[in-house]
Amino acid sequence: MSSRTDDRSKEDSGALLALASEIAGRASKDEAIEAFVTHEREFYVKVYEGEVESLSSAQPRGAGVRAIVGGRAGFAYSTDLSTEGIEAVVAQARDNATYATPDEAVAVAERAESEPAPIPGLFDDEQPEVGPDDKVTFALTLERATRAADKRVRTVEEAVYGDSEADVAIAVSTGIAGSYRRSDAWCYSVAIAEDDGDTEIGFEFDLGRGLGSLDANEVARQAAARAVGVLGASKIPSARMPVVFDPYTAGQFLGVLGSALTAEAVQKGRSLFAGRLGEAVASGNLSLIDDGRAEGAPGSAPWDAEGVATQRTGVITKGVLTSYLYDTASARREGRPSTGNAARAGFKSAPGPAPSNMTFDTTGEGRDEVLGRAGRALLVQDFHGVHSGANSVTGDFSVGVTGFLLEDGAPVRPVKEVTIAAPMLEILKGIEAVAVDRRWLPFGGSFGGATTLISEMTVAGL
Amino acid sequence: MLDEAVIRRVLAAGAPAGGLAELFVEERRSSSFRLEDSRVEDVASGYDLGAGVRVISGERASYAYTNLLAPEALLEAAAAARAGLAGGDQDAPLDLRRVEPSAVHPVGLPPSEVGAGDKAAALVAADEAARAAGGDVRQVVASYADVHQRVLVATSEGLIASDDRTRVRFAVQVVAARNGEIATGFEAPGHSGGFELLERQPAAELGSKAAAKALRMLDAKPSPAGEFPVVLAPGSGGVLIHEACGHGLEADALVKEASVYANRAGERFGSDSVTIVDDGSDAGAWGSFGVDDEGTPAQRTVLFERGVLTGHLSDVRSAKKIGHPPTGNGRRQSYAHHPIVRMSNTYLLPGPDDPQEILSSVRRGVYAATFAGGEVNPATGNFVFGMAEAYMIENGVITHPIKGATLIGNGPQVLGTIDAVATDFDRKEGVCGKDGQAAPVTNGMATVLLGKMTVGGTEA
Repeated sequence: MSSRTDDRSKEDSGALLALASEIAGRASKDEAIEAFVTHEREFYVKVYEGEVESLSSAQPRGAGVRAIVGGRAGFAYSTDLSTEGIEAVVAQARDNATYATPDEAVAVAERAESEPAPIPGLFDDEQPEVGPDDKVTFALTLERATRAADKRVRTVEEAVYGDSEADVAIAVSTGIAGSYRRSDAWCYSVAIAEDDGDTEIGFEFDLGRGLGSLDANEVARQAAARAVGVLGASKIPSARMPVVFDPYTAGQFLGVLGSALTAEAVQKGRSLFAGRLGEAVASGNLSLIDDGRAEGAPGSAPWDAEGVATQRTGVITKGVLTSYLYDTASARREGRPSTGNAARAGFKSAPGPAPSNMTFDTTGEGRDEVLGRAGRALLVQDFHGVHSGANSVTGDFSVGVTGFLLEDGAPVRPVKEVTIAAPMLEILKGIEAVAVDRRWLPFGGSFGGATTLISEMTVAGL
Repeated sequence: MLDEAVIRRVLAAGAPAGGLAELFVEERRSSSFRLEDSRVEDVASGYDLGAGVRVISGERASYAYTNLLAPEALLEAAAAARAGLAGGDQDAPLDLRRVEPSAVHPVGLPPSEVGAGDKAAALVAADEAARAAGGDVRQVVASYADVHQRVLVATSEGLIASDDRTRVRFAVQVVAARNGEIATGFEAPGHSGGFELLERQPAAELGSKAAAKALRMLDAKPSPAGEFPVVLAPGSGGVLIHEACGHGLEADALVKEASVYANRAGERFGSDSVTIVDDGSDAGAWGSFGVDDEGTPAQRTVLFERGVLTGHLSDVRSAKKIGHPPTGNGRRQSYAHHPIVRMSNTYLLPGPDDPQEILSSVRRGVYAATFAGGEVNPATGNFVFGMAEAYMIENGVITHPIKGATLIGNGPQVLGTIDAVATDFDRKEGVCGKDGQAAPVTNGMATVLLGKMTVGGTEA
C-alpha cells in the first residue's frame, strides 16, 4: 500500500511541475508568465452529540496564472486544466494585463543562483495511510472527551477534524521551477459550560502534519478548562495594571502587528510602522522574527508564492525596527531583494505580501516564572472585537477581554466584560518577558504566541 | 450541463438505503478590477467548474466534490460521500421531474459582452469624481466585480432544477483627512443583473456621494451616551433586522434551540406596523435567485406579520426536522460547500408614516445613516452595532455629525421599540458570512423611529 501511494504522489508532483512549466513556457519575448498549480486531497468531519453531523472529502485542483507585460499585471485562474482550459486562462491573464495601470515595480521573481534546500518534515508519510474511519473516530473521541472533561460542560457546540495533503508547483518564465508536498491536520473543540445560570464558551485546537501528531484528549481537556475556568466571571474595577497575554491571545496580537509590517502596507501609508525603520519601537530585550523555514511551523515552505526562496528575517532586533517584509514588487520599489514573503490564499488568488511564521524570540523564562513576575495583573484568555478594536494604521488597540485576575502570579478570580487599551507601540515597549511556551496559531497567517508580560495597560471595568 | 443518464447513475450510486443523494454542478465565470492610489491594480478573472455529491442519512450529511465532470470522477465522489453506508435500490428507475425557477432576474447588458476597458473606466470615473470633491480626500479605493454562475441540482427523490445567475457590484471607499482627523465614506450598490447597474447608478455619482460622506464626517463631534430616540435611515438600518431578527429565525438555529425565537411562533413582538419578509424572488435584487442551491424555488416568506412571529427560514435538512416544507433558503458559496440556511433579501416592509414627520417628532435623538457592522449573540439576541455615519437630531432637525456612536440592544426587544415606519423604502446590498461561507444578501427598510435605545458614546 505504502509504495503505491508514494508512486502516485511522485507522479502527481512531477506532472504538476511539468504543467506549471508548460504554462510559464508560453510567455512571448516581451512578456513574463508565472504559473501556480495545486492539487489537494482534503477531508473534514464535524460531529455533534455522538453522531457525524457533516463530512466532506475532495480533491480540488487548479491553476493561477499571472501575465506581466511592461509593468502591467493580469491574473486569471481556472479549474479546467485541459489544453483548451490552459490556453483560455493564459489568454485571459494576458487580456487582463492590458487594463492595469503600468507600474515599473510590478514584475515576476528572478531565478536565484541556487535552489532552496528542502524543509524537513513538511509531509507526514504516514498520513496517506490514515483512513476516513480513523478520522471520524478521532472526532468522536474529541467530542466525548470534551464532554467528559468536566461535569459543568453542558454541550460541545462543535468537534472537528480536518486535513489536507497538497502538491504545489510554481514555475516562472524567468526559469524558476519548484514543487513541494505538504500535509496538514488539525482539530478543534468548542465546549459550552454552564453553572449557576452562567454560560461560557471555551475553544481549543491542535495542529500538525498528520493525525498521529494531534492530541484529542489534551484539546478536550483545555477546551473544557477554558470554558469552566471563566464561569462566574465578573468585572473588576478600572485600573492601570500589568497585563499578561496567554499564548493564544499573544498570537492574535502578533496577527494585528503582522499586517502592518509588510512593506506594501508601509508604502501605501497603511502602517503604524511607516517611517520608523532604525527606530526603537519595542523594549530593548524584544526581537521579532519572521521565518518562512521554521521547522514544525504551519507557514513553512521552501518557496514563497512567487517562487522566491523563503528566509529568516529579523523584523525587530533588540527593540529596533530592522526590516519590513517584502514581496517582489514592494522590494523593487525600494531597489532591494524580496524577503520571500509573497503569499496567496490558493490558486484562485494573486500573490501579495504577508508574514510567513512570525514570532517573538523568547526571553527565556518559563510560564510560571512570567506569571510570578506579573504579581497583581490581568491574565487575558480571549479577546473580543479585535477586528474593530485594533487598528494597524493608527496603532490604536482597545479590545474586550475574558481572563483572570492574578494575585502574586496566581489566578484568584475570573474576569469578563472589561476592556484593555494602549497604543500598540506602548504595548511593544512595555513587553517585559516572553515565555518559552510558544505555540503556532494558524489563523490568517502563522503566528507563534507565548505567555507575554506587558508592564502596564489601561483596564476599564467597573 | 450534464447528460441526464449520467446524473441518474451518479444519484443511484450515491443514494443510501432510506436516505437522499443530491448532485450539485456549478460553472462560474468571474471578473474583478480594483483601483487604489488612482491606479488600476488588480485585474483578475476566474473560471470554476465543479460538482459535489451530498448524501444524507439520518443526522449525517456527507459531501464530496471534484473539479472533474467525467462520469468516473462523479461516481467516485458519490462513492466517497456514501462511504460506510449501505446502498439503496440502485436498479430503481429514476424519473427526474424538472422544477422551474420561480422568478426571472433580467440581465440587460451581460458583463461578458462589456469590454474590460469599460469596466476599468468606471473605476477611474469614480476615483476622479471623488478626488474632485476637495483636497481633504486622501485615498480612493474602487472595485468592480461581476459573476455569471450556472447551477444544476438533482436528487434521488427525483428533482432536477437549474438556475442561471448574473450579479454585478461596484464599490467605492473614500478616506478623507484634516487636522489629524480621519473619516471614511462608502457606497457599494449591487444587483442580480448586468452592467446596466452602472447606467442606473453612474460610477462618478457613487464616487461623489462617498466623498461627500467622508468629508461630512470630518466635522463629527463625539457621540453622546445614554438613552435616546433613534431614527434609522432608509436602507442601511435593515442590517439591524438581518442580524438581530433574521439569523435567529434560520431553522438550523431553531432546531438546536440556539435562538431566542425558538418555540415562540404566534407571539407578538412589535406593533402592527412591523411586517418583515425574506424574499429570494424579488426581481433583480442582489440576494435573489430563481431556485436555491438545493433546487427549491425562491419564495417570499413572511417572518413577522403585523408584529406577530409567523415564519422561519429553512433548507431541506432543517425543514425535515421541523416538519415544514423548505422555504427556499438553502444556499452555498460554491460547489465546494454544503448548503446551509441563509437569508436572501430581508425587508421590513414600508409603513404609512411620512419620513419628515418622523424626524420632526424627535426633540433630541440620533439619526443613524450607516452602520459599520456589529456583533450579535444569537442565543440571547443581544447586539452592539457601530455607526459609520450618524448625526444628532435636535428639535426635529438634523444638526451635526457624530462619531464613535454605537447602538446597544436586544433583537426581540428592538422590534417592540419600532414606533413608526415610513413610506421611503430602500435597499442596501451586503455579503453575509456564516460557517465560513459568504452569500450575497440585501437588507431593506424605510425610515424607522425606534422610541428609546441605548446609544454608546464617549460624551455624557
